[in-house]
Amino acid sequence: MFEVTGKMVWKGTKTGLHTTWELAKVVVPTAIVVAVFRASGILDIITAFFAPYMGLFGLSGEAAIVLFSGYFVNLYAAAGSIMALSLTLKEITICAVMLGFCHSLLVELPISQKAGSPMGYIFLVRLGCSLAMGWLLGVVLP
Amino acid sequence: MSVLWEGFLQGLKGLWTIALIVIPLMIVLEVAESNGLLQKLNRLMARPFKIIGLGEEGAFPVVIAGVFGITYGSGVIINHVRTGKVTRKEARVVGTFMSIAHALIEDTIIFWVLGAPLLLLVAPRLILAYVMSYLVYRLTPELDSPDGDNIDTTD
Repeated sequence: MFEVTGKMVWKGTKTGLHTTWELAKVVVPTAIVVAVFRASGILDIITAFFAPYMGLFGLSGEAAIVLFSGYFVNLYAAAGSIMALSLTLKEITICAVMLGFCHSLLVELPISQKAGSPMGYIFLVRLGCSLAMGWLLGVVLP
Repeated sequence: MSVLWEGFLQGLKGLWTIALIVIPLMIVLEVAESNGLLQKLNRLMARPFKIIGLGEEGAFPVVIAGVFGITYGSGVIINHVRTGKVTRKEARVVGTFMSIAHALIEDTIIFWVLGAPLLLLVAPRLILAYVMSYLVYRLTPELDSPDGDNIDTTD
């Protein structure tokens, strides 16, 4: 009934390798950019600027980098930023949940529009869910 | 130079962690798909989707988007609208659901690898997607006349 063939395994491996390559193109450059930000002091400026707003979600100022790279680029960029920063597990969790709702907007909003839902409406729904859950988790998580 | 190198290594390390999960995962997905597990999942979801106004044709793109990503789900829904299998209102409900909850396997894995708890990564998306779609289903009037949405059916 349930069968596993070499062909399936090969096809899966190919997809996996392809995905990994796509990731490499985003994760590695993001990690480099964040490392440069950190060394040059730009990170500190961004962190200080966003700290009060990020506090709403139980996040430190640094997490703004993660949220922005996720919202505007994609989740792999966000993952790259997380790896290059030193966030607590609580912060990683909150960022992850917030970004689950709202990410890759530049690519995905036009896709939603094509599929018959207005961009502005989808944007509000996704950002709303993201901010609401972020706030909730910031309050609830220990 | 050493800063760039350090960032590069950091990125590679992260990439390796992800690859170790992504490649086996894609194999499992391929096997599951080849064995028709996707259709079974679709049948299982029939009842909860009824409540938010989606029949089998409407539920299918949601399941596709949930597993493979929003691009694939949108491809299906665009085609369904063009061939008249779903109404514009259904497309709106589907669009709401899948914009919130899509690529649930891939998106979840990325952050799970980094230490976030599995349940928190999946459950809130599914629950909010369901609630928002239900609201859209109840609050949206029928959208039979073209109302400026300009669903592009050329590709």
